Amino acid sequence: MVRLFLIQTFLWLACGMVAEAQDARHEIAAATLLKGEAAQIKALNGLMGQADDAIFPLLEAWRKDRLFLYEANGKTVPVLLVGAKDKEGMQAAERIDTGKPLVDEKGAAIRLNAEDLNAVAHSANLRRVMKAVLDLTDLASSEPAKRRSALAAIGQAQQLEKLPALEKRLAVEKDADVLAALHEAIALVRLKSPDRAVKVAALKELEQIQSLASTDFIATVEKEAKLAKDENLAVHAHTTLLAINRHRSVVDFGGTLFRSLSLGSILLIVALGLAITFGLMGVINMAHGEMIAIGAYTTYVVQNVFAAGLALSPFGFSVMIPGLHATGWFKESYFLFALPLSFLTAAVAGILLERGVIRFLYRRPLESLLATWGVSLLLQQLLRLTFGANNVQVGSPSYLSGNWVVADILLGWNRIFVIAFAALIVFGVWLLLTKTPVGLLIRAVTQNRAMASCMGVRTERVNTLTFALGSGLAGLAGAFLSQIGNVGPSLGQSYIVDSFMVVVVGGVGNLVGTIISGLGIGSFDQFVQQYSPSVAGALTEVPWVGGFLQNLAQDSAVFGKILVLCAIILFLQWRPSGLFAVRSRNLD
Amino acid sequence: MAHPLLTVEDISKTYDGFKAITKLNFYLFEGELRTVIGPNGAGKSTFFDLLTGRTRPDEGKIEFGTEANNSHDLTRLNEVEINRLGIARKFQTPSVYTEHSVRENLVLSLKGPRGVFSSLFQRLSSTENDRIDELLKLIRLEAKGSWKAGLLAHGEKQWLEIGMLLAAEPRVLLVDEPAAGMTDEETYRTGELLLSLAGKHSLIVVEHDMSFVRQIARDGRVTVLHQGTLLCEGKFDEVQADPRVREVYLGRGKHGTR
Amino acid sequence: MSEAPENPLSPPPLSNSTAGILAFAAGAMLILPALDAGGVIDHFTLNLWGKYFCYALLALSVDLLWGWTGLLSLGQALFFALGGYMHGMYLMRMIGTQGQYHKPIPDFLVFLGWTDLPAFWKPFDQFTFAMAMVFFLPGILAFLFGWLAFRSRIKGVYFSILTQALTYAGALIFFRNNTLMGGNNGFTDFKEELGFALREPSTQRGLFVATAAALVGVVIFLRWLSGTKFGLVQRAIRDGENRTLFSGYATPAFKLFIFVIAGMIAAIGGALYVPQVGIINPSDMTPDKSLEAIVWVAVGGRGTLVGPILGAVAVNMLKSYATRAMPDLWLILLGGLFLLVVLFLPGGLVSLPEKIRGLWKKSIPATLPA
Repeated sequence: MVRLFLIQTFLWLACGMVAEAQDARHEIAAATLLKGEAAQIKALNGLMGQADDAIFPLLEAWRKDRLFLYEANGKTVPVLLVGAKDKEGMQAAERIDTGKPLVDEKGAAIRLNAEDLNAVAHSANLRRVMKAVLDLTDLASSEPAKRRSALAAIGQAQQLEKLPALEKRLAVEKDADVLAALHEAIALVRLKSPDRAVKVAALKELEQIQSLASTDFIATVEKEAKLAKDENLAVHAHTTLLAINRHRSVVDFGGTLFRSLSLGSILLIVALGLAITFGLMGVINMAHGEMIAIGAYTTYVVQNVFAAGLALSPFGFSVMIPGLHATGWFKESYFLFALPLSFLTAAVAGILLERGVIRFLYRRPLESLLATWGVSLLLQQLLRLTFGANNVQVGSPSYLSGNWVVADILLGWNRIFVIAFAALIVFGVWLLLTKTPVGLLIRAVTQNRAMASCMGVRTERVNTLTFALGSGLAGLAGAFLSQIGNVGPSLGQSYIVDSFMVVVVGGVGNLVGTIISGLGIGSFDQFVQQYSPSVAGALTEVPWVGGFLQNLAQDSAVFGKILVLCAIILFLQWRPSGLFAVRSRNLD
Repeated sequence: MAHPLLTVEDISKTYDGFKAITKLNFYLFEGELRTVIGPNGAGKSTFFDLLTGRTRPDEGKIEFGTEANNSHDLTRLNEVEINRLGIARKFQTPSVYTEHSVRENLVLSLKGPRGVFSSLFQRLSSTENDRIDELLKLIRLEAKGSWKAGLLAHGEKQWLEIGMLLAAEPRVLLVDEPAAGMTDEETYRTGELLLSLAGKHSLIVVEHDMSFVRQIARDGRVTVLHQGTLLCEGKFDEVQADPRVREVYLGRGKHGTR
Repeated sequence: MSEAPENPLSPPPLSNSTAGILAFAAGAMLILPALDAGGVIDHFTLNLWGKYFCYALLALSVDLLWGWTGLLSLGQALFFALGGYMHGMYLMRMIGTQGQYHKPIPDFLVFLGWTDLPAFWKPFDQFTFAMAMVFFLPGILAFLFGWLAFRSRIKGVYFSILTQALTYAGALIFFRNNTLMGGNNGFTDFKEELGFALREPSTQRGLFVATAAALVGVVIFLRWLSGTKFGLVQRAIRDGENRTLFSGYATPAFKLFIFVIAGMIAAIGGALYVPQVGIINPSDMTPDKSLEAIVWVAVGGRGTLVGPILGAVAVNMLKSYATRAMPDLWLILLGGLFLLVVLFLPGGLVSLPEKIRGLWKKSIPATLPA
């Protein structure tokens, strides 16, 4: 019965609002002319929840003394002065009620000096109402995202006086997501209600919609209920809290799982090329990180070529790369061109590296590690001298930004893309290695170099080819990393240690091992990061170093990396050659 | 009959589905010189790997010691522990320390403590020096004692490695293709050397060269391995006469396609 | 032909090169401070040489593992920096109340909101405790890591990669402010050591003498070690580890011993480095620093005693010059130098005379008429 009455009231109010809302400008203009604070407040309250774009600039101008009253021929016209001041301090004037320029009888624009005019007055109470109106204008915004964020803010603020405006929206709002946010906001505000029954209903509602944002407020309700000796309400609040926290742990787990998969995919993409070159030649390429950076910078250059071009000054020579000044979807498609180019550039760099350095060092793996480190230093500095020491920005195409929310779990599009792409690359490499003649040669040389050589395989050429493949994959990884973070000369360095770990754990020359180890290390790291703060307390029980561990566990990112290392060292006790080992019958 | 020094019973070893050794039984008695022959892939090297702890059998037992209740289970020991029991191995490809002098190679192999701290303060006694001189003479490298071992000819490296085995004074010598890369004369001398060791030491010699096998197996027994199992065992002439052996190995020329 | 001694286990006669370094370092120990005191060279030069000698100790520790045992450790910078940090903790305590905040605890702790000294800092008021920790902490870390790594037979590039990760993890820990070791900035602004003001030239001379003495001591120790049977086993492991195992040597134990010793030698270098350079921070702990030390050894000549010292001094002299004269090109120079040495001069500078002699000999027949 009560509800029915309320709904009727809302409908009536809503209809009234629609009728009045035909022009917010007229309403504001009228309000400026009203006498008395109470009347003005009443008028402004009528604006609550309206979405007219004019409201915000006009009320802002009012608050900042930039609305003026122009009097002529016994009539008072409220105006807004716009445009630049001329020599006499005159500005163009704009009528508030129509938004059109103020004109005299002949239709000529009138210019006014602010100093000759009276600003529209405002009191503290009036300003408060204006702010409330402004807060609510976003509720009626044409963009659902804006409406949702406004609702979230209102819900958090828990001001009972906004309840009527929110309830009005219930009838108007059509978007399902925004409607859900509206229900949540209303329930949150109602927690402040003096009526106990309303509070309990709000708690029920919050429990039902599993509102993660509400836990702090529900905890407050519980505390206040205990203070007020309202045991029943306190129990209500407590059960609600428990239910929502159960939901939260599920969401956290899902989110961690997603982040694990995405980090694992990144590690996999980064380590794949390394695993191939290491598997084939036993060469640890310390310049692998720079191959990644080359791929990322290629993406950067391609992006700029699609835009306004790029000016570079390596070693003091100035080089201008012209741009295509592309727009729209064509500009956004730059990434599709950047992908193959990143692969090619890095592959060419890989060929040069193999022909120029590594082929002399095949029987000396430690030396090849060192020589490639020298190359890595060289390349890093070259990149720095060419593109500058600072990070450069690579913008994501619009189709890679944004999120997808499934059951409160935030899934970033770019991360979903990385996961899908990792799967695609792995599949592609698998096809290449198992279904093509080139792959057959590569596998033959990996398994038995001498025998392959005797069978007429040109192992030298296979080496070069494999190295090109490994480096090209690093380049692709670079193109991807440019979508996740900034691009800098030492970009590769931040991933190189992790990708070595993936190769060590995965074992030599085995795609499956690399996949399992990449995803495994990624997951281990993310789960440690997620749950280390909650186990930090228990770590103090460890003898001797307990305090240190507890201290360390507070920085979950560092703790994650360190635990990964410890886990890997322990793992190697069990499997010294990684997950999949190649057996050899030679003595060494 | 005496208890064997080395008792191998029912051992099997599989690599990725390939059966390298299947249900092999083998007994070696103290002072015996046993020759093991078999075509490629018969499991000879795997057999040595199992005896020296390089790999472990999937099943079966390998025991070392002449007393049944006081023998060592080799399947539980690693290569260092097995070596310290007195089982030394010469590898198929000569493996000497190429950057060390010939003399240093022998010093490293001398019987004696092998610990970290003892190695810090160990000094060679005059008897040990004499022993090294004696060994150098035996392996005919007395003029090359200060040469880098890596500079020796292939045959000389084989001899050095045999010298290194002897320096350790092991109870059992496992010798893998000692005659490979040697001239006929060197091969003959190697054979005589091995024969002179029998009695004092127990030896298992793996070899391909049939005239060499005939030479060293003149007193002892020959074991024929085939596809990881024991094909037959006996005197050289008996083995050579065995039709199964002729089939798989010696008589390939007769039954083979060529 | 190598000229191995008749009896490998009697102490080897000093080779010319070893005698040369000993004479050089011992001479430097006496002459440079005298020149400094007499005003012939400036304090900066003396200080620079002190730094070079600390680096030489680090280089020796790298060579002991890489050149003599075949273990390419990318973790030596970690041990060097740990040694430095342990000594640094004592030096930080000796600042007393002379810091910016004039509090009895180090400034960075005041900055983090501490009012009392954390418990683990307290014993570092004692010089002897700090010096013991210089050996103990790197030693125990090397022991634990080495024990795990060697018993599971991790070797070759795998060992390099794991030591790199270890160093990386160490740097991550020390970069944190909450580790209470000075975070990013590390330790600096030291005032005195054992009551002597560090800014006094006489104190710096004393530190230089201590460094040169430590270098001489380590060279003598390594020379002795290489002449023992341990040295023989060590090189045997480098050339054929499996063969060594089948000779009955438990190679993991030998490698562990040498890894711990090398960690301590690096730590001595770091401990002496800190009061002379006046700063230690986590950037001294990165894998790249280890690799830089490997460059010194490669350039000088690995597997020798002179090589690492020569390389450390030569490359760092070049660095002192190049980072001032052409800062942009220094890394290119270092990378290129390293590449060239690895490719064309694997024996390093010490092998240069023999190489030139070889070229000379080869060129003679070419100049003779056929």
